[in-house]
Amino acid sequence: MALPRLIFVTGKGGTGKSTVAAALATAISRRRPVTVADLERRRSVARIIGVDLNGAESAAVTDNLEIAALTPRAELEAFIEGIVPLKAISSRMLRSRTFGYVSAALPGLEAFLMMERLRLMAGRAALEDRYAVIDAPATGGAIELLSVARGVKRIASRGTLNRLAGTLEEFLSDADRFGVILTVRPEGLALRETLDAAAELRGRLGVRCIAAVLNGVAEELFTDAEITKVRALGEPARLAARRREGAKNAARARRELEAADLEVVELPMLFSAALGREELATLADSFAAGTIMG
Amino acid sequence: MKARAFDPGAHRLVICLGPGGVGKTTLSAAIALNAAIRGRSVDVMTVDPAPRLLDALGLEGDATQPRDVALAGLGARRGGRLRALKLDPKQTFDGLIELYAPSAAARDAILSNRIYQNLSNALAGVADYMAMERLLELHRDATTGVIVLDTPPAQEAIDFLDAPRRMLDLLGSRALSLLGASRGLLRGPLAMFDFAARAVLAAFDRLTGLHLLADVQAFVRGFEGMYGGFAERAAEAQALVRGEDSLVVVVTTAEAERVAQAREFVAALEELGFRVGAVAVNRVMAPIPGAAELERAEIPAALKRKLMRNLADFAALKRRESLSIEELRETLPLKTPLVIAPDLGREPRTLRDLAEIGGSLRYA
Repeated sequence: MALPRLIFVTGKGGTGKSTVAAALATAISRRRPVTVADLERRRSVARIIGVDLNGAESAAVTDNLEIAALTPRAELEAFIEGIVPLKAISSRMLRSRTFGYVSAALPGLEAFLMMERLRLMAGRAALEDRYAVIDAPATGGAIELLSVARGVKRIASRGTLNRLAGTLEEFLSDADRFGVILTVRPEGLALRETLDAAAELRGRLGVRCIAAVLNGVAEELFTDAEITKVRALGEPARLAARRREGAKNAARARRELEAADLEVVELPMLFSAALGREELATLADSFAAGTIMG
Repeated sequence: MKARAFDPGAHRLVICLGPGGVGKTTLSAAIALNAAIRGRSVDVMTVDPAPRLLDALGLEGDATQPRDVALAGLGARRGGRLRALKLDPKQTFDGLIELYAPSAAARDAILSNRIYQNLSNALAGVADYMAMERLLELHRDATTGVIVLDTPPAQEAIDFLDAPRRMLDLLGSRALSLLGASRGLLRGPLAMFDFAARAVLAAFDRLTGLHLLADVQAFVRGFEGMYGGFAERAAEAQALVRGEDSLVVVVTTAEAERVAQAREFVAALEELGFRVGAVAVNRVMAPIPGAAELERAEIPAALKRKLMRNLADFAALKRRESLSIEELRETLPLKTPLVIAPDLGREPRTLRDLAEIGGSLRYA
């Protein structure tokens, strides 16, 4: 597949990051094994896929689809246990309030270890010929997270963390291992933020932007002339105008995203009374039909 | 029959909580504006508003002090006043340090400390804690009748309300005060504890290359004299948000995902002893009319079919939304009212839009 081993899904709040991550993972799972992971405490992907992790770190949904939850605390513990040679000392360290304080005062540390975990996931995925999809924080938080290696280099001028930060930077700029998908709704506000984020990701961070996913695109029904013709019809006319407006916004969004050299994947607005597995499969079809999966 | 209007402006303090992307800031502004139009004197504090909302509220640039919002043309009653401000956590924290530092040297030592800079820039809880701090400042102004508080996006309901306690836990932890205490004062078991804490941190420093020990000690020493002031204010803030005159509003949208989150929010708040004043479902669509009238309209058949189809599509969306709201209502505690905020069919971008939302909040 043309996708990197690890796909990091971000976007403005409310643009459907979790739905997009779940749909993409579903599409990939039809061809290769894939893990879809929640980066925060939201458990959204699990809810959308309809699986309750019940506190477990991961669970199999189908033969090819696994769902996982990554928490900063668990990463911190794994890291400390990894670098501290004696179990007695590492557990003492983790229990101490001083240490809790230090890790809280250096929030970059937890973010850094989370990114380190993603790097390891991508490495393992390459070895096993599988993929990982990450339901990441909203754009601002995501960019902060991806910038963390730099920050760590600044405060740790040598030592384990400094070395790891260098490796992490290499990982993020490796288009075969890491790439970002930006979710966007066909609205002016979200669009601006997406274009800014893409510029920052590519420019400052040297990260690959796989695609912008335009989420909730309704099939076009009306022309402007038709909207004018039915204007006197009250509510049905207002809803028709709203649909027309949505179609125009989507077209404009597509143009601007493409002008910024972003691959665009459109996901349809689903006019159904429920959003379940069937609808997720429909959204997955849109990914399968596009070019990003190669 | 028209449902009863939701007018939280009768409370001294209205706190809007909720996950990101549900329109907390918009709703906070709408509630505040509506109360002002009804003749109350209102302050609204926003967190990270979208550019259009900044524009509508006149909050461009450095708007960390309350600014008057012009209510002309909105039919506001006499005495109605709205002031808006943006939260700047870092600046607020710096201000607190200024206030409590025993000397200029102590203040500068803290402000330039690496631990402090990380604390004040990046720790999520700091934004929450500083919102509380600003709240106390606004509360002290007796000319203000109502304070509406937008809050940082939360993963969990308690992130905001519990922030002062967690910050104090952190700043006042015993290990921390021991680390900072001068040598020689500590004897016996306490000295042992101090030694262990130092050893742990020193080992961590060596392994990671962070060299934090000196910074932590300097920070703690600098903070010692200020702890009392911070603790007092945190207690005051806690009492205020838990007070009879405060209303906690959990904001959500009707998407199944968000509804599940809102439910968890409410349960967590109840468990902590907070009264949830209302759950507000934002961006709720207007009812979709039946097709009967459209059936009779004299327009080309093909166009009519498309209008029918469009109506059916929106009706399906509306049905999904109603099911979701119904499920929320059924699973909320009986005493927690559900409030509906309308979808304008466009992004709210003017004061008039906000007034329209604020004026049409209804109990479901």
